[in-house]
Amino acid sequence: MTVDLTQFHAAFFEESFEALDAMEAALLKLDIGAPDPELINTIFRVAHSIKGGSATFGFSDIASFTHSLETLLDELRSGGMPVTAAVSDLLLKSVDVLRVMLRAVQSKQPIDAQRVSDLQFDLEVTIARKRESIAAETARAPAPALTASSDGVPAATADAPAPGTEARRWRIHFRPFRELLARGNDPVRMLRELAGLGGLEVRIDIQALPPLADINPQECHLSWTLEVPGEVPEEAIRQVFDWAEGDCDLAVERVPPAPSTAAAADAAQSAPQPQIPADSTRSPAPQAAALEPPALTPAPASPSPSAQPRPEATLSAPGDSGSIRVSVEKIDELMNSVGELVITQAMLSQLGAQTEGPQAERLRAGLAQLERNMRELQESVMRVRMLPISFVFSRFPRMVRDLAQRLGKQIELKLTGEQTELDKTVLEKIGDPLVHLVRNCIDHGIESPEVRLAAGKPAAGTVHLDASHRGGNISVEVSDDGGGLDKTRILAKARARGLIGANETLGDAQIYELIFLPGFSTAEKTTDLSGRGVGMDVVRRNVKELGGKIELASEPGRGSRFTITLPLTLAIVDGQSVAVGSETYIVPLISIVESMQLKPTGINRLSGRGEVFSFRGDYLPILRLHALFGVEPHTRALDEGLVVVAEGDGRRVGLFVDDLLGQQQVVIKSLEANYGHIDGISGATILGDGSVALILDVPGLIRAADMRAAA
Amino acid sequence: MKSRTRSTPARKAGRGRTARAASPPRARAGKSGELTLNADCTLAQAARLKTSLGGLLAEPQTVTLDAGAVQRIDTAALQLLAAFVRDRRLLGHCTQWRGAQQTLAPAARLLGMEGVLELPGESR
Repeated sequence: MTVDLTQFHAAFFEESFEALDAMEAALLKLDIGAPDPELINTIFRVAHSIKGGSATFGFSDIASFTHSLETLLDELRSGGMPVTAAVSDLLLKSVDVLRVMLRAVQSKQPIDAQRVSDLQFDLEVTIARKRESIAAETARAPAPALTASSDGVPAATADAPAPGTEARRWRIHFRPFRELLARGNDPVRMLRELAGLGGLEVRIDIQALPPLADINPQECHLSWTLEVPGEVPEEAIRQVFDWAEGDCDLAVERVPPAPSTAAAADAAQSAPQPQIPADSTRSPAPQAAALEPPALTPAPASPSPSAQPRPEATLSAPGDSGSIRVSVEKIDELMNSVGELVITQAMLSQLGAQTEGPQAERLRAGLAQLERNMRELQESVMRVRMLPISFVFSRFPRMVRDLAQRLGKQIELKLTGEQTELDKTVLEKIGDPLVHLVRNCIDHGIESPEVRLAAGKPAAGTVHLDASHRGGNISVEVSDDGGGLDKTRILAKARARGLIGANETLGDAQIYELIFLPGFSTAEKTTDLSGRGVGMDVVRRNVKELGGKIELASEPGRGSRFTITLPLTLAIVDGQSVAVGSETYIVPLISIVESMQLKPTGINRLSGRGEVFSFRGDYLPILRLHALFGVEPHTRALDEGLVVVAEGDGRRVGLFVDDLLGQQQVVIKSLEANYGHIDGISGATILGDGSVALILDVPGLIRAADMRAAA
Repeated sequence: MKSRTRSTPARKAGRGRTARAASPPRARAGKSGELTLNADCTLAQAARLKTSLGGLLAEPQTVTLDAGAVQRIDTAALQLLAAFVRDRRLLGHCTQWRGAQQTLAPAARLLGMEGVLELPGESR
């Protein structure tokens, strides 16, 4: 049997991208000068995991690059090198390059070798400079076990533990489950890596090893008690076993010093046997650096000892393993089954309501109980699909930092409500519109520090992202305390482009509405950030596609606020069911403005626009659903039926129906997947009586009506 | 995997035996059993290794395991070898090593297996 590593690729990429996000977040939190060691550890772990994974899968470019990155991080981790702004920038750039490399490898595209090697060169130079300075220090004041790094912080050498550190040892109980080997983990590699931390004592337990004849060669029957002497962070130890998480029992405990190593003075010499020397892939000891000139060529990708497939838990802290990774398809299947159950339950309820007899009451009680349980089940399954919006928000700190730097603005980013949860599908689609809004805020909204100070505002502008639940919806606000929208300029621009007449006067809301028109931009110069006018209309369209809406409020000199309202999920919609003849249709509640009965006097017929009715001083076209869908209605007289005023794409329309039936949550079944696309229909659902109802897509209906009118 | 007896050419010269000589493969449980381990002793080949070892388990003569050609070895293979050596010891039979110091012994040492495998000391 050969292990087909390609099956782990998807997991590797997914984990690596997530890990890079975490690395980036940690880098942004890193204080220059006084970094939090835990953050540096986090960053180091990411680089280490990616290096191991990429070496395993043969992505040698990535492995080589991360090797250099890891070496630099190791210097930072050991305190051998201070965290400066330049180093922080270098690391952030490395994150970018790694992302690009991973994406290239993932899509089997060539890697931008020049960019990679430039940055790798920078990394190597930084490391080499630091080593040179250490070499100089060592030459001046030779200190065999301890060396002072350039910033005066003592740094332990790679393989000689500092005096006193022998007082601490780690004892590790490592009991692999049988499937550990088959999952691609190899204790030889793991223990080699552990030995690389500074030394290792190994005690194997073969009690459970069956006779040769009974052994399944794919299974592991061994277990170990390991001891790691010296001042090694627990994190580093756990990290070795990261990828075996879930495939072994692991206990790491701190133990008193072993008698043989109690004497710190000769700790290095009297290391217990069998002691394994530090791994050669570690950064060389300063003494070696003093003798050899620093190598500037990129280090070759060492076959990493951590090279194991299943790059799992790359960042999960110990004890943080209370979650499992489940594919979205599985959840969708579950969701689908629950949807079917809901329908069956509704059918039973209808049947139960009609049943009579001595058992009927008990049946109804049971059905009521079933309904409650069903609702809970449905909500639980829905929650599985929910993810906190922090998944999207997390990309902003970096973006804002970079933008502010490039535009010479000072910007403070405030994130609130990051834990607000919404459906994964919605979450994936809301990212780009939000990015655009935040860019706009920074580019157009926030003024330069001088302008702000002159206006009596603090030099640093604030961009605020807030998410919250409102009813069955989620609302995401992007606001800034910048100059607000310049109505005069918007109007001037709109007039210049012929979007409005020269003498047309517009209210505030209508003026703001102009920025959502395709091709509109007031930016004085087009930057690569914004100003090409391809933004806000796309933002609005994306939000609409998700069944949401976007609103804008602005105050001159005080800033502006965009509010996006989205449904929590795309799997369920709050709908109004309406009757047309014998058919039932569902109109999403979010598109409904109001429902009304028409008076014969309010109805007119306009040439070119068909039937219209008067609605709050405006004339809206009437869409007869029976005509659109070819259904025989109960009535064709407009004053006998009802009109549902619905809004889509910024336009309103009156949908003529026979009757309103009721409001209910319906589970959306894709029409595309089960049948095919139909204009004006966004999906279907199954009603309690088992019949199928189509869910109307109001913007699509309006477009369909336009086509009919034009034809 | 070819775990044939003495069939894989040994890579190191000067081992006191011209394993390179084109001698025909000997039966598994030969007069003095010998097994030349393949270059790749990993999980993927473990089932074959188990079969080869199984054929030699009851060999009353001393069995020589030649690890001189081994380039890669992992826990799965070492586990089988450990069971083999132990089981033979329990049966009262001897097992000895040749060419283990290059690749096999360091890996075994990492796992704390030198004792179980009855590997010769560092000097050899």
